[in-house]
Amino acid sequence: MSALEAINSSVRPKIAYIIEPRFSGGTSAAVAAELRVAVDFGTLEVHAITSRTFGENQFVAPALRQVLDELHIPLIWDAPRISADYVILHNPSFLKFNEALNTKIFARDLIVVTHENFLRPGGEEGFDVSGCLNQIEASSFVLRRTLAPISPHNRQTVNDWLASSRLARQWRVRDTDWFNICHADISPPCEKPQDRRGRHSRPGFEKFPSLSDLDMCFPEHSQSNVILGADAMLNAGVLRAHWTLLPFDAISVDEFFGMIDFYVYFTASTWQESFGRVVTEALAAGKVVLTNPETGANFGDAVLTCHPGDVDRIISDLVADPQRYQEQVSRSQKVLERYSAESFKAMLSNVLTADSGVVK
Amino acid sequence: MIFIEAGTRSLRTFDAQLIFADQLHARGFNVCIDAEYLPKDAGRGRVYDAAKFLVDPDEHEVERVFVLGAEEIDDLLLESLRQRQLAADVPVVATGRFETQQSYISAKARLAYALGREATVLDLTEFQPRSMLPSAACPLVADIRPTARSAVEMPSVAVVLGSMELDAPETLSCLSRMSNRSDYTLQLIVNGAQNKVINESPFHDLPTILYTDLSARILANTTDVLVMFGHGVAGVRMAALAVELIATGGVAIDCTDDEAIVSSGAPALIGPKTPLALDGYLTGKILENLAGVAEQATKSQWLHSVDISRLEKAADLMPRKREPIRTAQRTVFFPTNGVGLGHAQRCAIIAKELPDDVAPIFAAFPSCVPLVLREGMDSIPLVQRTEVSANFNGNDILTYRRLGAALQENDRLVFDGGYVFDSVYRTILERNLSAVWIRRGLWPDGRSRPRMLQREAVFDKVIVPSEAFEELNDTYSYGDHVRNVGPIFRHVVQSDDERQGLRHRLAERFGRDFDHLVVSMLGGGVASDRSAQLQAISGMLEDRSDCLHLVVTWPGSKVQPATFGWSNTHVVQTFEATTLCLAADLVISAAGYNSVLEILYNKIPAILIPQSAPYLDNQERRAQALADRDLCAIITEKEFMKLERTVSDCLDQGDLEVYRTALNKIELPEAGAAKAAEIIAEAKYRK
Repeated sequence: MSALEAINSSVRPKIAYIIEPRFSGGTSAAVAAELRVAVDFGTLEVHAITSRTFGENQFVAPALRQVLDELHIPLIWDAPRISADYVILHNPSFLKFNEALNTKIFARDLIVVTHENFLRPGGEEGFDVSGCLNQIEASSFVLRRTLAPISPHNRQTVNDWLASSRLARQWRVRDTDWFNICHADISPPCEKPQDRRGRHSRPGFEKFPSLSDLDMCFPEHSQSNVILGADAMLNAGVLRAHWTLLPFDAISVDEFFGMIDFYVYFTASTWQESFGRVVTEALAAGKVVLTNPETGANFGDAVLTCHPGDVDRIISDLVADPQRYQEQVSRSQKVLERYSAESFKAMLSNVLTADSGVVK
Repeated sequence: MIFIEAGTRSLRTFDAQLIFADQLHARGFNVCIDAEYLPKDAGRGRVYDAAKFLVDPDEHEVERVFVLGAEEIDDLLLESLRQRQLAADVPVVATGRFETQQSYISAKARLAYALGREATVLDLTEFQPRSMLPSAACPLVADIRPTARSAVEMPSVAVVLGSMELDAPETLSCLSRMSNRSDYTLQLIVNGAQNKVINESPFHDLPTILYTDLSARILANTTDVLVMFGHGVAGVRMAALAVELIATGGVAIDCTDDEAIVSSGAPALIGPKTPLALDGYLTGKILENLAGVAEQATKSQWLHSVDISRLEKAADLMPRKREPIRTAQRTVFFPTNGVGLGHAQRCAIIAKELPDDVAPIFAAFPSCVPLVLREGMDSIPLVQRTEVSANFNGNDILTYRRLGAALQENDRLVFDGGYVFDSVYRTILERNLSAVWIRRGLWPDGRSRPRMLQREAVFDKVIVPSEAFEELNDTYSYGDHVRNVGPIFRHVVQSDDERQGLRHRLAERFGRDFDHLVVSMLGGGVASDRSAQLQAISGMLEDRSDCLHLVVTWPGSKVQPATFGWSNTHVVQTFEATTLCLAADLVISAAGYNSVLEILYNKIPAILIPQSAPYLDNQERRAQALADRDLCAIITEKEFMKLERTVSDCLDQGDLEVYRTALNKIELPEAGAAKAAEIIAEAKYRK
């Protein structure tokens, strides 16, 4: 190491990420994008924890694997101890089936990014939050523990949960969102929209509304209805002649967006997206997004919030007025700048600096 | 309807659904199970258990959904719940044993996603911190009846062999000795493998039932002492049995290696770990103190943990007492369909002798229904067994459902048949019926008597209609409940004028004058094919211009087409076979119970051709008894070439007169129909 490198090294904080690399959805994609930004702020270590949620294998989500390879960062599995200036633990829910976190954490600042909502709509716990946070608390020797919500709604659930928990005094909550970086290529809206509707998501039951709502969102009279991620419906034989049901991964997301002009996304009323990565993908692809007000709250006027019963009217209005369709898409795509790597870098710089409030 | 669902689909969870559905049903709830849950390999017993609960969900309104085994929920359940689109006011309650808070939260969340609203999820570990079988998908609960059972004269001891291997020869030998004890009755509850070992051993007569032969609730009702061997509790059915038995004042003895019952906190006794020491333990320590032991058990706090009313309260269920539909006792006769309509005819003869205050109805197969209606009694139609269906006992399941629908607690069932069908056995136990078994004798050689008699215990009375001659009256079982009565047959009176008139009408009807009327009556039942014999007789009589040959069968019997190919043979399907026989000069008949008695008591000269088939009684012995007394001619299976000569001897050589003379002289026992009717009318539920 040269003298210059040594000096640089001494001022660069050590940042350790703790992740469960086997999450296949938004968490891994978000962490992968984040690592590319975080590498500019210090020396990175990435630690993988083998949780019971995903069993014994050491699979790594492709998006993460690619970034780790690019950055030449080794993935360290189940280290007995982690020491760093900053430890950033992503998605504590991976500990929900564990009894203990067998990794000791020593840090000035421990930041736990709460990808999953602590509470479901109605107030039921989304996962065993106490169990997960207790494991982290019992294994960490840190000056400060912080929960970092990823969206306004996610923050609300964290605050509501803490309000009724004895753990509240152990944790502070960041006042700005630790949002997901969304860096998809921006596509322009089509010139003449048609009543081509679709949705895509992972196949879980939480991602789908009731059948009656699905019928309203994807009716017989629309030109086409494509549902990607319909594995459960296919398995159970829930079929409609006017639906094109495709299993998750049956086609690429780009192919899917090529088949639709309107992205109609409603979930089970008892569950809510904590961020809504699928929504940002649809916006980037140049589609008009219709969703429920709660999910739409994360995106302001970038999406059209409505109820399933309103979907038909909104779509027929926009099909009849292509100009309005295009204006809506253009307006919505501006919102994506909020979730850019640059925005995240600005947010992170406030965290990983000497004046970020870390006690020295 | 309360729909009982399961988190996953397997035999284990289906058993849980059946057990819980049965318990709720007994508590007065209307419960059902979506027929889609029935596993392909359910096995006979489970299908019977399930028959009363399985429904097409589209045909019933959902009042409530109960999900069992919610610690593990698969997509099939979630998709079916989502598809049903339950109204918001339909409560959904799920139970599970959740090892962690996360598994509870996961179950609650998954149900909420499919329903679009929250379900009530009950954690059974809170009700039962130490479960007898933690892997049980159903709540191991029971209706707690606080009083101990009254002392019983002959306690019924059920032994569950559990995971025990039966390779040690002394084990079965010891159990065999126990099964012959006079101070208790023994029943072994075994799995399929153990049953096979027992059946292939010299101890194949041991009284066994399979785990799935009866529901846990019914089995507990018929058991006083339950003994469990092996390692752990042998599955959810046996766990439910143990809980039900203790809750209803029975005594459980835990002989498992790991003391699985006692370690759950249940008030069971710890017994010997080997069956070899069981008899001494039972007779020396337990049987004399049964009431005391049961009384102690009723004081156990554990009963609180298995009290079904706690679960009902948590699930917001209000039990309803099921009121009887009728106040008057109903008497149902169920004649099996063996050879011809003999069983139905015998039942009809007895039924007509019943006192006026007993109005019997029948449950009868289609072939018997006209006979019953003709006798002025009503009949519930049953469905005949069919060879077409792959499900060999499918019709009996339907019979079980129909008997169950027709009979309520304390009604009376009179069964006439050799083999006690599952439908009969189960209905008697489940409805607490007063039951009478009309059981004819002369069983064929080689039939396992203990097997045939294994279900005798469910009958309050066994009526044995006797044969005409003492040497034919074998005894198969003993006891006060077994009552022998005289022969039961149909007696027809025909005057000479009536006889001549009938012969004249037959000559006119068939356009043939005759000197000799020959009636062949070889039976029309399901057991044997006698077409070759009929062809031989028809061929022999074809050229005899002095004869008219009638083949008489019951209406609806199968007749081979070839029978219609003779000019001097005519097929007559009639309920008045006896009248035709009385008008005949010679009857050629099988040697069934009814036919022989009618020939004897109506003094009709006959050639008897005993039939043999797996279901038939020993006709050859019966026919031989008559032949030995010169009351008839006999042609056995091996002597068929004698037929032509025998017919000729009868018609041309004066043998008929020999038989007539002997028939007129023979003294016969008094008929038994009236006595049988008296026994039936007095039969009371014994338990």
